[in-house]
Amino acid sequence: MFLLKINITLFTLIGILVVSGCTSKTETPEPTTGKLTLHFDHEIEQAPIVFDTMRYTNAAGNKYLVNEIQYFISDVTLHHTDGRKILLDAWEDIHYVDTDLPDTHNYLFKDEIEPGDYARLSFTFGINEVKNQTLMFVNPPESFMFWPDNLGGGYHYMKLNGKWLNPSNQVVPFDFHLGIGQIYYSYPDSITSFVQNYFTVELPQSAFSITANQTTNIELVMQVKNWFQSPNLYDHNTWGGDIMQNQEAMILGVQNGWDVFKVKNINAK
Amino acid sequence: MKALYTIITLLWLLSCILSCKKETKEIPYQPTPYEIDIPFGFPTKLNIPENNPMTVEGIKLGRYLFYDGRLSGRTHPDSLMSCATCHRQERSFEAGIDHPDFPGGFPHGLTGLQTHHVMLPMINLVWNSTGYGWNGFLYPDNPDPQLRNLEDFVRLAVLASDEMDGDTTRIKNLFQSLNGYPELFEKAFGSSQITFTHIEKAIAQFIRTLISANSRFDKYMRGELQLSPSELNGYVLFTTEEGADCFHCHGGFGNPLFTTHLYYNDGKDTLFTDPMDRFSITGDPMDIGAYKATTMRNIELQGPYMHDGRFETLDDVIDFYSTAVVNSPSISPLMHHVANGGVRLTPTEREDLLSFIRTLRDDSFLTNPNFSKPEQFPDEE
Repeated sequence: MFLLKINITLFTLIGILVVSGCTSKTETPEPTTGKLTLHFDHEIEQAPIVFDTMRYTNAAGNKYLVNEIQYFISDVTLHHTDGRKILLDAWEDIHYVDTDLPDTHNYLFKDEIEPGDYARLSFTFGINEVKNQTLMFVNPPESFMFWPDNLGGGYHYMKLNGKWLNPSNQVVPFDFHLGIGQIYYSYPDSITSFVQNYFTVELPQSAFSITANQTTNIELVMQVKNWFQSPNLYDHNTWGGDIMQNQEAMILGVQNGWDVFKVKNINAK
Repeated sequence: MKALYTIITLLWLLSCILSCKKETKEIPYQPTPYEIDIPFGFPTKLNIPENNPMTVEGIKLGRYLFYDGRLSGRTHPDSLMSCATCHRQERSFEAGIDHPDFPGGFPHGLTGLQTHHVMLPMINLVWNSTGYGWNGFLYPDNPDPQLRNLEDFVRLAVLASDEMDGDTTRIKNLFQSLNGYPELFEKAFGSSQITFTHIEKAIAQFIRTLISANSRFDKYMRGELQLSPSELNGYVLFTTEEGADCFHCHGGFGNPLFTTHLYYNDGKDTLFTDPMDRFSITGDPMDIGAYKATTMRNIELQGPYMHDGRFETLDDVIDFYSTAVVNSPSISPLMHHVANGGVRLTPTEREDLLSFIRTLRDDSFLTNPNFSKPEQFPDEE
């Protein structure tokens, strides 16, 4: 009789556990926030880049090709229609994009985002001086972007590698690399100060909505040609193959960067 | 009813006792996990396959196998060949230009056939996830599961006619017959029945421990010593585009592996006839004549240089990058000095660059007893 009582108690306890398990499932609250992703494409003349092929001409008249583009964006900020600015993912908000690595073309933010209407978004091209610290990234591919300490440290903002047809009719490489610039007392030694070349990209045509339980995807496109044309004409024949130690050349790219990115499409699912 | 419950309860108790007895009879396979100590600034992501976790027992076995000449599957003194026959610790696990059996550092196998390429450094490979070999033919997501990682490299080296020219069945039977080895396999992998897969795994585990991160430059990075003005100037040259411009492919303070483990056509040739370049793996015309950038760590010991060993000394290599770079359609875009034939270093700059490169020599690695030949093999103990 004693054993019978134990069994009845056991079955009752199991029953309670099963029922309570079912009940807790039905109590899961509906999500009240949405998610945001950015997708990066890369174009020249309004079409996807055909890499490694000498088929493009920039505004300065240089015939050129593109081999690869690698860059960081950070400080992605949402501008709410009510005037609030929302910085996403805070310290983790540095994203690496590599044209050779398709996985890097999508940036899913960790933050849950409040539903509502947003007037636009903006981001930093490169990394600001507070975050841009040497050995911040120890793993590839980001670590391969390191910018030597003697040139300012941290990481390249961008490597845009390609080739152009020089006046001697030779196809020769150019490394359009942006990062911390240097001011020299006597070149190439005696650096007197460094220049933080990161800049903010504003996307005025990027109004979007966040809906609860949905992911909004903003497709951005880098118009590569714009690096070389507005407001500054960038001529590879003038600046040559490398510019990491040439602030005069880097600043032209930095100033041209304002309209390199365009919003291509916005959708939600 | 009461009797029925009593019987059920007794049967349940009996089954519990029997199952407990069975458990205590088994000797559990419990190898000791081995944790890699990540050196300062090194990547935290490691290339350790899920099916071959590193263990103290596996590494110990791997070290014996790495150095045991019977890995060729033969016992005659003239036919012994181990990994260490070519991979010499004092040469950063390369053959080295002074190898007693391979003049000029060009290894050949037991059949006398020379290897297609010269050797790559066998150090810090636990951080290589982009492919092994000069053309990266072994890589983690290779559609061929037999060509993915270090374990596969071990098997290929044992089978290759220009290396050990071995036979896996004969090798595992030989080691099965050697006193001490079956016990070591039991401890490492839970079975004394030797399989070639376990041989591959053990050697790969040992190779993953070969970490070089204590050179003078590492000590400089850690703030433990200061480099000389010449060495420091050499480092500036190494890491500037207007200097020697080595760092984009060969790393530096921000990439202390001193390699990207990626593949570049660095402007050695205009005509490409090697059927085993990077292009042979990717089919991408931009990879014609491209090969892996080697690590600069211990590089002064690792001649001959380049995939075909065309340069005997570091001086030759620096001369090439300084004045002899040639253009081709697939030259890496990072070789932007090609229009000038190279980076055009002055004699003083060449010396300073060499001084810096020599700071990457890690003597404590080259003499580390954990990596050296065991005093005795298991059947000799």
